[in-house]
Amino acid sequence: MIVEEQHGIHRVLLADAAARAAGVMAGLSANAALALLPTLKLEERNPVREQQVLERLASWLERFSSFVSIADRNLLLLEIAGSLNLFGGLQSLRQTIVRDLGMLGFSAAVAIAPTPLAATWLARSGRRICIRATENLGPALRRLPLTCLHWPSGQRELLTGMGITAIGDCLRLPREGFARRFGAERLLDLDRALGHLPDPRDSWRAPERFCADYEMTEEQSDRELLLNICRELLLSHEQFLLARQLGTQSLCFSFFHLKSTATELRLGAALADRSASRWFELLKIRFEALRLPEPVIAVRLRSGLSQPLLAETARLSFSHKAEKQKHRYSIAQLAERLVARIGDHSVHALTMVAEHRPEYAWCARNPLSDWTASTLTMLTDTRRPLWMLPEPALLPADSGYPLHRGCRLTLLDGPERLETGWWDEGNVSRDYYTALSGAGMRLWVFRNRQRTPDWYLHGIFG
Amino acid sequence: MTVRYAELHALSNFTFLRGASHPEELVETAAALGYEALAITDECSMSGIVRAHAAAKETGLKKLIIGSELRLRSGRKLVALVQNKGGYAALCQLISKARRAAEKGSYELTRLDFESGLPGCLVLWIPDRDLRLDVEDHWIRETFRDRLWIAVELMADGRQREQLERLREEGRRLKLPLVASGDVHMHIRARRILQDAVTAIRLRTTVDKAGFALHSNGERHLRSLAVLAHAYPAELLEESARIADTLHFSLHELRYEYPNELVPAGETAGTYLRKLTEEGMRRRWPGGVPAKVIALVEHELKLIADLEYESYFLTVEDIVSFARAKNILCQGRGSAANSAVCFCLGITEVDPGRMAVLVERFISKERNEPPDIDVDFEHERREEVIQYIYGKYGRERAALAATVITYRPRSALRDVGKVLGLSDLQISRLSRSMQWWDGRTVDDSRILEAGLNPDSPVIRRLLYLVREIIGFPRHLSQHVGGFVICNAPLHELVPVENATMPDRTVIQWEKDDLEEMGLLKVDVLGLGMLTAIRRSFDLIRDFDGRDYSLASVPAEDPRVYDMICAGDTMGVFQIESRAQMAMLPRLKPRCYYDLVIEVAIIRPGPIQGDMVHPYLRRRNGEEAVDYPSEEVKGVLQRTLGVPIFQEQVMQLAVVAAGFTPGEADRLRRAMAAWKRRGGLGPFEDKLISGMRERGYAEEFARQIFRQIEGFGEYGFPESHSASFALLVYVSCWLKCHTPAAFTCALLNSQPMGFYSASQLVQDLRRHGVEVRAVDVNVSSWDCSLEAGEGGAPVLRLGLRMVKGLSENAGQRIVAEREKGRYATVQGLMERAQLDRRDLGVLATSGALQALSGDRHKARWAVAGTEKPVPLFRGVEHYEAAPLLKKPTEGQNIVADYQSTGLTLERHPMCLLRRHLDRYHYMAAGQLPDMSNGQRINVAGLVITKQRPGTASGVTFVTLEDESGYINLIVWRKVAEEFRSELLNARLLGIAGELQIEGRVIHVIAQRLFDHSEMLGELSVSSRDFR
Repeated sequence: MIVEEQHGIHRVLLADAAARAAGVMAGLSANAALALLPTLKLEERNPVREQQVLERLASWLERFSSFVSIADRNLLLLEIAGSLNLFGGLQSLRQTIVRDLGMLGFSAAVAIAPTPLAATWLARSGRRICIRATENLGPALRRLPLTCLHWPSGQRELLTGMGITAIGDCLRLPREGFARRFGAERLLDLDRALGHLPDPRDSWRAPERFCADYEMTEEQSDRELLLNICRELLLSHEQFLLARQLGTQSLCFSFFHLKSTATELRLGAALADRSASRWFELLKIRFEALRLPEPVIAVRLRSGLSQPLLAETARLSFSHKAEKQKHRYSIAQLAERLVARIGDHSVHALTMVAEHRPEYAWCARNPLSDWTASTLTMLTDTRRPLWMLPEPALLPADSGYPLHRGCRLTLLDGPERLETGWWDEGNVSRDYYTALSGAGMRLWVFRNRQRTPDWYLHGIFG
Repeated sequence: MTVRYAELHALSNFTFLRGASHPEELVETAAALGYEALAITDECSMSGIVRAHAAAKETGLKKLIIGSELRLRSGRKLVALVQNKGGYAALCQLISKARRAAEKGSYELTRLDFESGLPGCLVLWIPDRDLRLDVEDHWIRETFRDRLWIAVELMADGRQREQLERLREEGRRLKLPLVASGDVHMHIRARRILQDAVTAIRLRTTVDKAGFALHSNGERHLRSLAVLAHAYPAELLEESARIADTLHFSLHELRYEYPNELVPAGETAGTYLRKLTEEGMRRRWPGGVPAKVIALVEHELKLIADLEYESYFLTVEDIVSFARAKNILCQGRGSAANSAVCFCLGITEVDPGRMAVLVERFISKERNEPPDIDVDFEHERREEVIQYIYGKYGRERAALAATVITYRPRSALRDVGKVLGLSDLQISRLSRSMQWWDGRTVDDSRILEAGLNPDSPVIRRLLYLVREIIGFPRHLSQHVGGFVICNAPLHELVPVENATMPDRTVIQWEKDDLEEMGLLKVDVLGLGMLTAIRRSFDLIRDFDGRDYSLASVPAEDPRVYDMICAGDTMGVFQIESRAQMAMLPRLKPRCYYDLVIEVAIIRPGPIQGDMVHPYLRRRNGEEAVDYPSEEVKGVLQRTLGVPIFQEQVMQLAVVAAGFTPGEADRLRRAMAAWKRRGGLGPFEDKLISGMRERGYAEEFARQIFRQIEGFGEYGFPESHSASFALLVYVSCWLKCHTPAAFTCALLNSQPMGFYSASQLVQDLRRHGVEVRAVDVNVSSWDCSLEAGEGGAPVLRLGLRMVKGLSENAGQRIVAEREKGRYATVQGLMERAQLDRRDLGVLATSGALQALSGDRHKARWAVAGTEKPVPLFRGVEHYEAAPLLKKPTEGQNIVADYQSTGLTLERHPMCLLRRHLDRYHYMAAGQLPDMSNGQRINVAGLVITKQRPGTASGVTFVTLEDESGYINLIVWRKVAEEFRSELLNARLLGIAGELQIEGRVIHVIAQRLFDHSEMLGELSVSSRDFR
C-alpha cells in the first residue's frame, strides 16, 4: 500500500486487492487503514521516482510521435495525427502503444480526441473512447463528470453545491453569469476542450547525457593507444559538459571486443567534475589494473547523471575559508585516488561516535561521502588506549587477580565502571582498570560484572 | 566506627525526565539503608516534597531534608538545602521568581537572583565536569560564605582519584569544606535503564543516539553504606551527616493562614459568619425558622468554630455572592457544602430539610479532614469568577493548584517507542491495537496484530520500560479549578509557576499535596448544565413571565418522576446516559433521595463492586434486606444494606473494623490510588481481621473488601451526589414542563452533555414541539422561542447552528434586520457586511430560502454577489436566470447535517428504507412488539460507540433510525471479527438477538454490516430519491 503525507497525516494513495477487500480505500488515513488491516505494509510515496518514470516513458513514447508532452503527474499527451500512416492507422497505433506499455508493466487509460483537453478529460474519466471529428466533441463531453477536469476543488464544490456535476450542466449556464462566478479561465477551458480555441502545448525534451563511441578500423591491444583514445573521448566529454554548464560524478567506459562481451570500467568522484585531466588521472590508475580479455575494436564513453556545475574562477584572496576549501578539496582528491587504486571496499574514513562503550565509539564511513558533515565529539577527559583489541581477550586469573603472560597484573587506576548499551545486543557492565604488566606494559583491562566476573584485556596504552 | 551518611543531593522523578524514581521510593530506600537523612532536591521544584514528606512519616526515615538543585544561566550548579522556615520561604520565593521569568516548564536564574543570599539555606557547590571552581565564581563564595560546601560526587568514571585530589586542592585554595554527595537520580541501580530512556525522551532523541548525554553507569542511585565507605573518604561521609544534623526544617512547621480581609472591622471571623448565616436563615425561611434548623445551625457553627474554619466558609461565601450579584448560577457540593450553614449562605440550594439523612455527615472533628467545598458555575461564565478571585486577592495570594500529568499506557508507549527508535507508524499501530491496554499484561496477539514480533528484544524492552514509566510524572498542568487563596504571599508556602494559559499561575503542589498539608482550596468549576438551566429560566421569563430559580422550582412533582421512571431523560443532567436510561425504569426513583442514589449508583465503582443488582433486587422486594449488626444497619440502612457511597465505605471501616477516622481517611486515599500504585494490602489485613474480631463473618468481610476494591478511584461521595441530584431534578422538571425552553437552552449551551443537537431536536419533536428552520429574516444568533399556534412555544433554530458562521457576522445580520427584512442576497451582503464565505455557509444551511429559493439557487446567487462599489450601491445586477436542477430531498438532508448537524426533513433512514428492505431490517419502533430472544435484523445511523473500561471488552453502540433508537451490545469476540465494520460504519446493519427486560430493549449483535455507501448515495445519486 502506498501512502502519502498530506497536512501531516499519512493517507492511503493506492492499495492492493487484499487491502481493498479489507475495506482500505484511497484517502483513508494510514492509522485508519492499519486499524482495518494491521498487517498492512506501508510504503511512502516517492514523487521524485514517479517523475523519473514519467520522463522515461515520455522519452520512450517519442518513438510513436515527434510531439510528446508531460501534462500532469500522471498524464502524457501524444500528438498522433502525423504518425497514423506510419503505424497503420489509428486502431493499430493505439493497440501498439497499449500493448507495448503493457509489456513495460504499465497500464494506461487511453483516450483519443481532437483537442488535448478533451483527450485528457476523457482519459481521466476512464472511457476508452476515440473521437475524430471536432463536432462530435460536444456530445461526448457533455456527460463527463466535472471531477475529470481537475478544476480547483473549491470551485468544484461550489458547482456541486448548485447541482452542477457534469460538463453539460456547465454548458447550459449563461456564459456571462458562469464567467462572473468561476472566472474566464474556466470558460476558456471549456472552449479549448471543445475546439473553439487553440490550445498549444510544450513538447518534452529529455535531459542530455554524453555518449560517444570511438570505433577503430582494426582490433587494438596497445594499451597506450587505448588510453589516448580514452583521453580524446574525455576531452570531447569536457567540451560537451562545458557548453551546458554541467558536471558529473560518474563515468563509464566500455571497451568492445569482437568475441567477448564488452569490458566496463566505471569511475566515480567525490565532487561533480568535468575536467578531462582529472578524470584522466583517475582513469590511468584504474586502467593499469584493468584486464582486457582480448583486443579492443571500439571504445564508448557514457557519462552518468549530470548536474549543474559553475566554472570555478581563480581567486586572488587567501582567506582562511578559501584555504580550508582547498584543503578539503585535496583530501577529497586523495580519497578518490586511493579508491581508484585499491577499490571502494578497501578505503574507509573513520568517525568518532558519541558512545560510552569503547567498541562502539568509532565507525567507518564511505570516504567519498561528504566527510566534513560529521563533527567530532569526544569526552576528552576519559582515558582510552590508542590500540584497541578487535575483541576483548579473556585473561586467566589467579585468586581474583588477572594474569598476563603468566604474571599478575598490578591495577593502577580505576575502576571506570561502564553499564550501558542495554538498547542493543551489546549490553555491557564492566569495571575497567589501567594495569601494569610484568613487562612494564600499561594495559587496559576490565572485569565483567555480568554473569562470571572474568577479566579481559581490551587495549594497550602506547 | 559506624558509617554515618546523609544524601544531600537527590532528584526524584519530579525533576521531570531526569529523575527515575518516585519520591516515595527514594525515601523508603534511604530509610532501609539507614541513611541519617535524605534530601529531596528536585531541580527548581518543590512538587515532590509533600509525597516524600508523607512517605518519610510512614517509613520512619530519620530525617527528610527539603532542597533544590539550581542551574544558573552561566552553567553553575548549586544545591540549596533548607535550614529553617525562613530558608524554606526564601527558596520557594527564588524558585517562583526563576519559574515565572521563563516559559512554562523551564526556569531562568542568574547570580543577581542570589543577591539576598538565600538566608536560612545551606548550599552545595556542584563542580563542573572540568572540576574548576573559577575566579569568576567568587561571588558564590562571597554570597554564601560559611554556608557553602564543595560537593564531591564520585561516580566510578575512572577519574575518581584525580577528582578527589583536585577538589581537595580547590577546597584548600578557597578555604571551603568538602562533603560527599551522590547526585542521586534513582533509588536502585536497575532504574538506570529507565533513566537512560527518560533522558532520551527529554532530549527528543533515541537512546542509541543520545551518546554522552547518558550516564556511563548506574552509580547515581542510593548506594549502601558499605559501598559508600569504600568509595569515599570517611570524613566526607561524616561531614554529610554533620550537615544534616544542623538542618531542622520540616513541612510540619508550615502554617496556612486564611485571607482575613473578608471580615469587616470590629468583627471576628466567627461573629461575621454567624451574622451572615443568620441573615441567610431569615431569607430562606421568611415565615420563621424551624427550631430544628436553628439547632442544626448552632451545632454546625460550633463545629466550624472549633476547627477554625470560619474564614474558609467566608471565602466561599464571598465568591458565591459575587456570582449571585452577576446573575451567574452556581451550586456548591462536597462534604461541607450540604450543611445548613451553606444553605443559609447560599452556597447550596439543597434544603437540609430535604436531606435529613445527610447533615450529620458533614465535617467531623475526629476525622480532622479539611472541609471540602466545590462550587460549580455556569461553564461559559466561570472565567468571570476566576478573574474576580485574581482581582480580589492578587496573583501573589491566589493561584490554581497543579495537576501532575503522569504517563498513561498510551503516552508511555508513544514516548518510549520513539526513544527506542520505532517509527511513528509503528507506534501508532501499536497504540491503536493496544487501545484499551491497562499497561500491565499484554496479549502477544495484540503485538502481532500491529505487525511486530512480541518476542523481539526491542518489543520486550519497550514493554518493560512502558510498565516502569507508567505513573511517572511528566509535567505540571493546571487543576481544572482548584484555587488556593492565602493571607500571606503564596510563594512563602509553595513555589508558583506559569501555566500554559496566559496570565494563569499554578502552584507546584497538586490536590493530594494540599490535602496532606492541610491547605484549603476552593474548587471553582464550570458546569454546562448550570448554563443551560439559567438560560431556561431566562427563556421562560421572557416567553411568559414566569420566574423560577433553583430553589423555587416546585419540589417533588410526581409528573417529573413519572417521566424519569419512563427513562425519558434525554438531555437532562447526569441521568441521561444510556446506562442511566436503562436503569431508570428498574430503579423507579420517586423522591429526591432516590435521585441521590441514582446519580451515584450508575458509576464504574458500584458497577465493578457488584452493588447495582443487589440494590435493585432489594428495592424491588426480591431480596431480603438484612444487616449483620446494628452498627452496620446505621451505616447502610438508607441504601438497603448495599454500600453505594464513598462515605459509607469509610464509615463501615470505622464501625465494623475498628478503623480510626484517620485510618479511614487514608483508606479513602489509598482507594483512589491503588490501581495506579497498589497498596491496599495493609488495609485488607486490617479490615478483615478487624471485622472478624468484631464478630462478622469472614465472608461478609471479604465481600466488603471486594466492594472497596471495586470502588477504586470511582467511588462517588454522597455529598456530591446530593448536590448533583438537585440539578438532576431541576433539569428534569424543566424538560417535563417546559421542553421547548429546555431544549433551546441546551442547544445554546452546546457543546455539552451526552447528545448531539440532532438528537435533542428529534427528541423535542417526538414530544410534539414544533421546530422551525434557520432563516436570516427571522432567526436570532441563539436559538429562541416563538409563539406558535395557540400560543404554544415553538423552537426557532438560531444562526449559531450554522456551521462556519462567525458570531460577529451573525450578530450583524440580526442588528441590521432591525431596519427591515432582507430582500435579496446582494442586499444581505451589503447591509450586514458579509463576505462570500459567510453567505456560502448560510446558503448551505438553507437560511437563504426566503431570499433566493432552494440551496442550488441560493449558492448561484451567492456566487454572483459582488463587493459593493460605492457608486453602484444598491444597484441590482440583472442577469439571465440559470437552468439549475432542484436539490433532491437527499441532498437537502445531507446539506442540513453538514451545516447544522440536524435536519427538519425526514430522517435519512426513511429515504434509505426501500434499499434496506432487501435485508429485512426492522425499525426501532417495531422492537417492543417482538419477543425476547427473537432473531432480528436492524440498521441505523451510528450515534454513539462506547467501550467502558468496566465492561470487559463489550462495546455499546447506539443506532438511530426514523422511529427511534436501538441499543446494541457487541461482545468482544464479535467486535474483533467485525472490526472494520464496527470502526468505520456510519450506517450499520446488524443481525442479532433481541433481549427484552421490562421496558429495556437491547440487541445482541452477532454479525455487522457496513452500509455507509448508501449514505453517499443520498447526496450523489439523485435519481433514487427524487
